[in-house]
Amino acid sequence: MYQLLLQQFLRTKTCQLGLALVLILGILSIITGKQFLLDQEKIASQVAAKQGEHIERNLELHGDDLPLLLYYLKFSLVSQPYPLAGLSIGQKDVNPSVQRVTILTLEGQKYDADLVNPTKLLYGNLDLSFIIVYLFPLLIIAFTYNLFSEEAESGTWKMVNTMAKSTIQFLLAKLIVRFLLLASVLLLLLVAGVLIMGISINGIFLLFTISSILYLIFWFVLCFWIVCLRRNSNFNALTLLSFWLILVILLPAFINNYLTNAYPIPEALSTMIKQRDGYHKKWDSEKRATMVKFYEDYPQLKHHGFPPEEGFDWPWYYAMQHLGDLESREESNAMQEKIRLREEMSRLCARFIPSLHIQLAHNDMAGTGLLQHMNFLALTTDFHKKTRLYFYPKIFGNESPESVNWQDFQPNQIQLRGEISWFTVLMPLLLSILLFSGLSAMQIRKDLRA
Amino acid sequence: MRREVLLLIARQFWANAFKSKAIYFLLGLTAVLLLYAAYSGFRYHEQNHFREGHQEMARESWESNPDKHPHRMAHFGTFAFRLKHPLSTFDFGIESFTGNAVFLEAHKQNTTNFSEASFSTSLIRFGELSMAMILQIILPLMIFFIGYAAIVADRENGTLKILLTQGTSWKEILYGKALGLAGISLLFYLPFVLIAVLMLALEEHATADDWTRLMVILITYLLYLVILSMITIVVSASSSTSKNALVKLLGLWLLLIVVLPRTAQSVGTYLYPTPTKLEFRSAIEEEVIQFGDSHDPNDPYYQSIKDSVLQVHNVQSTEELPFNYSGFQMFTGEKISAEIYKRHQGMLMQQYQKQNQLTKWLAVANPYLGIKSLSMSLCGTDLASYISFQLQAEDYRYQLAQTMNELQMKYIKANVASSEGQVNVVDAKEWKAFPDFSYQYPTVGQAIQNDALATASVLFWLLLCIGMMNHWSDKASAL
Repeated sequence: MYQLLLQQFLRTKTCQLGLALVLILGILSIITGKQFLLDQEKIASQVAAKQGEHIERNLELHGDDLPLLLYYLKFSLVSQPYPLAGLSIGQKDVNPSVQRVTILTLEGQKYDADLVNPTKLLYGNLDLSFIIVYLFPLLIIAFTYNLFSEEAESGTWKMVNTMAKSTIQFLLAKLIVRFLLLASVLLLLLVAGVLIMGISINGIFLLFTISSILYLIFWFVLCFWIVCLRRNSNFNALTLLSFWLILVILLPAFINNYLTNAYPIPEALSTMIKQRDGYHKKWDSEKRATMVKFYEDYPQLKHHGFPPEEGFDWPWYYAMQHLGDLESREESNAMQEKIRLREEMSRLCARFIPSLHIQLAHNDMAGTGLLQHMNFLALTTDFHKKTRLYFYPKIFGNESPESVNWQDFQPNQIQLRGEISWFTVLMPLLLSILLFSGLSAMQIRKDLRA
Repeated sequence: MRREVLLLIARQFWANAFKSKAIYFLLGLTAVLLLYAAYSGFRYHEQNHFREGHQEMARESWESNPDKHPHRMAHFGTFAFRLKHPLSTFDFGIESFTGNAVFLEAHKQNTTNFSEASFSTSLIRFGELSMAMILQIILPLMIFFIGYAAIVADRENGTLKILLTQGTSWKEILYGKALGLAGISLLFYLPFVLIAVLMLALEEHATADDWTRLMVILITYLLYLVILSMITIVVSASSSTSKNALVKLLGLWLLLIVVLPRTAQSVGTYLYPTPTKLEFRSAIEEEVIQFGDSHDPNDPYYQSIKDSVLQVHNVQSTEELPFNYSGFQMFTGEKISAEIYKRHQGMLMQQYQKQNQLTKWLAVANPYLGIKSLSMSLCGTDLASYISFQLQAEDYRYQLAQTMNELQMKYIKANVASSEGQVNVVDAKEWKAFPDFSYQYPTVGQAIQNDALATASVLFWLLLCIGMMNHWSDKASAL
């Protein structure tokens, strides 16, 4: 029976059109993902290639003056994406994946934006995750909304009614055929992704696949419930499209507006001004006071003492720079706190909305979410501190650039992923499936009794 | 066409629509969405308070500087915060993805940072709920829903035959129904008009230019709704069953609003690659160095300038010049590097425009893209408006750096090289004398000019729909 149902379905225009659309867009999405990964690789290799050149050039110009050299030298930290990022680009196109920082005030450097076309960001990426979250549900709706009503409306239902052992089993068989077809298309696209992007098949990829399939099942079950209400095609189409509209467009937009307005982040702007003032106004204040504050943070350097109040002094200069970070720390922390709140609230809401949940989960698995970027910023702070603390004693001790092995300062490469637990990824999906299966079962039982 | 027949059919369509409860539900839903969107827009716009506050804070900090060497002030620099256009309450456009604050200092063009998206989870990529978004995306769906059966249902139940035998023409039926449907969409649209007008009226900074913009916006959306009403009627007239009409319309909606825009933008981006940040910066740096390194006292380019300056003033060394030479050297360097930067930045923005061009051209085939683009331009939330902010900020930065260089040339002794300490300084009143940054929005004329294609596409679609209506008036059948 399954084979016949499949053949019958494959002959319909809806099926052919739908499959053609999703395959074309699926291929486009894989090209998009591959291109994204290539771009990221290009960025990383450029940074690596430039780093040596950059140090060499500056050594030529200021090779006899370490503090002056360090005023110019940038040290790089690169957040390399996992190949899985090609399937779910997330916020990785908004936030830069490279930090090139000097050992001057960090707060004035680490939020530097990348060069991206904002219109492109507005429209979003056509990655596989988009296809899964937006388009597959639409196909599922198109394939199932008239599962029952097409038979009723064309008059074949009476025949089915008399010939099939159980009409429910017949409907389920039709549903399963459609599910298997779409699940194979999804798997096909995922396999294409694996081959083209070089994604390794590991636990994370398995979770990515299973969660995506569960998301499809959620939509199938939802559609089945509506079908079980045995209304006409028009009603089903409109109701299901409304569900899609609410789950994929309206609710996310609703929540996003809410978060933006509930947690505005003016602290970001204050941080900017504070870090500038924290450093720059020290030019006009007593050198000793600056050094005292600096030594509070780094008592290990205290034995170098205090510079004369007249004239320029490099240790004092770097101390001023550090005070820029120190005096903007409160605002900077408040900003991070707000971002974390936004992140937490998003996750909380997403638990109840499968479309949001799957998108956030995909980004977590691919390491392309906001959380991963926040972690990248935190690592940048550590990296900056480590680099500073390596150079401070040399600056204070008046050492020459020759005392440094510049070969050691290759770009640091890191890969970031959120904490992923199978339970938190799969549970909300399973629960939503259970909910709509229950509703369908209740409806079926009601019909049988009637 | 007879006017009274048209009105009769329109009124009958209207009355029919109100017989079902669905329309009250849709009206209620639209009202809820509208209120929430208007409130969100209002709150989004309130970000301006923060930005104005910080602009003042930055100014105070600037003015509070004591007597200083002007080059210290050039590096002290200041900030430009991007203000939202009063009409950004209506259409958020690309605003959530553009930077909001930039640090302005000598020698260096910093990036505009802190876009809303950089603080947001991927939730923001699902889109935002604005008044424009409801009109562009949700309302079409409602119009399709209310009107999909307009003709085809009458055909299915035989009323069409009766109407035609009574002497009503096809043209009267089609236009009458379209009028009725447009009337209903107008009913949905009216609250948007009222709220938009009210919000602008309550905005204290609203100018005549803003009112012109709003009028054009409101008229454009009206045309958009009329276009949608006609499309619905044409599809209804050309379908064999009401189910077919509905499926066609929903398919159209998905294709035009969900699938095409993102695909077009992806393809456009793919076709016109942009440089990475590192490439962009290096290209500028290399070009600047080719001229000469203004920080290097022995640089040949600057050496030759120095020689000619000395010659003109007929002196042997820079110390004998009537002005501070290092100020002059930096003035020259700033001029060169700013020009090079501006050219590269211009090329980058052109490349962005090219990436967007495919989407803009598609407006000819997709009225949604036309209205989306035009609406953003008119609300001052499109790429052109953002570029205009960046240009103004850069101009201000340049003025700041050069004013400080001029002060250095004028007031700092010719033989002074160091900028440290309280010895070689300029009076603090000069800081106050340098005006604050104030952003000027582009005018409505510029906005429409930037988006001539989208404007044309809306008008083109209006004509196309009238053409299709006339075509189906001749071709449609009652069976």
